[in-house]
Amino acid sequence: MTCQECLSELATGSLRELRADSAVMAHCATCPDCGPLATALREREYDAATLLNNLRPMSNPITVAERAGELARRRRVGKVAVFASGVALVLTFWAALFTTGLGRGLMGLDGSGASRLSTEIIPLSCLSPQQAADIINPFVRSHGSTYYIGHSGVAAITVRGTADEIAKSRELIGQFETRASCNTSLADRIREIQKAVEDASQPREVAPPATTVAPPAGDLVPPVKKQ
Amino acid sequence: MSRDRFRRKKHRQTTEAETAVTYRDRASYAMDAQLASLASAGDDAAFTALVTRFQPAVFRWALTFARDPDEAEDITQEVFVRTYRQLGDYRSDGPLEAWLYAITRRAALQLTRKGKRRARLALTPAASPTRDVYITDPGGRVDRERAATVIHQLFAGLPRRQREIFDLVDLQGLSPAEAAERTGMKSVSVRANLFKARKALRESLLATHPAYGELPR
Repeated sequence: MTCQECLSELATGSLRELRADSAVMAHCATCPDCGPLATALREREYDAATLLNNLRPMSNPITVAERAGELARRRRVGKVAVFASGVALVLTFWAALFTTGLGRGLMGLDGSGASRLSTEIIPLSCLSPQQAADIINPFVRSHGSTYYIGHSGVAAITVRGTADEIAKSRELIGQFETRASCNTSLADRIREIQKAVEDASQPREVAPPATTVAPPAGDLVPPVKKQ
Repeated sequence: MSRDRFRRKKHRQTTEAETAVTYRDRASYAMDAQLASLASAGDDAAFTALVTRFQPAVFRWALTFARDPDEAEDITQEVFVRTYRQLGDYRSDGPLEAWLYAITRRAALQLTRKGKRRARLALTPAASPTRDVYITDPGGRVDRERAATVIHQLFAGLPRRQREIFDLVDLQGLSPAEAAERTGMKSVSVRANLFKARKALRESLLATHPAYGELPR
């Protein structure tokens, strides 16, 4: 066995299991470098093992047992106290949420939540749906509220919102629907449409026959038919 | 003919030895289980007997994870607090020693993590001890200081698993299979950790050999 083989064996092998008749020990017995090294390694581990294995705890086992029981009981009480405190904290939190408007708002119990939204169609006689939308737009703003404008020409606007928003929309649209200016403009528009329809339905005039050009009075040339 | 008789005799002796070990272990397990059962039922005397029986072993295991014997004492106390609380969970199908070892590992790791946080506080002048706790036992103090040095020299540079496996196998004398069973690791992992730990620990001494530089790494 070479020193390298011996070293690699000493580096990772079990020193306690090295037997006196093993090849490593045979080499260490004759090699001046490996022998002291193997001895030093074995002594170091042996001393460490002996010291650690023979070290005894200084505390008295009876004291340890009594203290363990006392601490365990105290921890059990502490655990119950922590659990109770946690439950109380959660209950307090929810109670605070429900008693303040914030919690009710979050839960949708104050009428502003999605569960309190309703949909209503407001008929229009004067305003166009787009105009009605422009009027009510700033007032239909809460979470989930909206309005719909039909594309088929139906004179109505559909509003989805809270009761307050729908009432406000109805009131605003009503204010504009009864205005004389709104009616006048609509009447004007109707008149314009009627006129356009009439113009389109009138028969077209026939074109006049070809005219002859009279020669100047002093000209003797007879009139010539224009080609 | 005489050779056969010799073999039979040897086989019988081996079998008797194994049987004796099994009987002793079973008796030991039964006693431990009985103590644990009594202690979990609230018998303080049984719990004290249990502590008296296992305190040295728990302290020895704790030394592997601790930085010094004082910390090992703290870990030992913590282990028995947890044991007192969890004795009802112990199933008697395995040795109590292995169950206690698992508790020791967990407690040691948690206390080590806490210790790192508290280390900053310990640097303050108010945190230094006002008296020497070993004043009544100078011999014990020397042993403990030496143990702390050994722990520092042997274990400071090793990862936790390697330290644990090296201690169980090379210092406490367990076989790799027993160490695997106790730590819950695979046997292959135990051998790999043991290999690395030995190599790391012996490297400094081996480096003094003239042929060390030619050693394949």
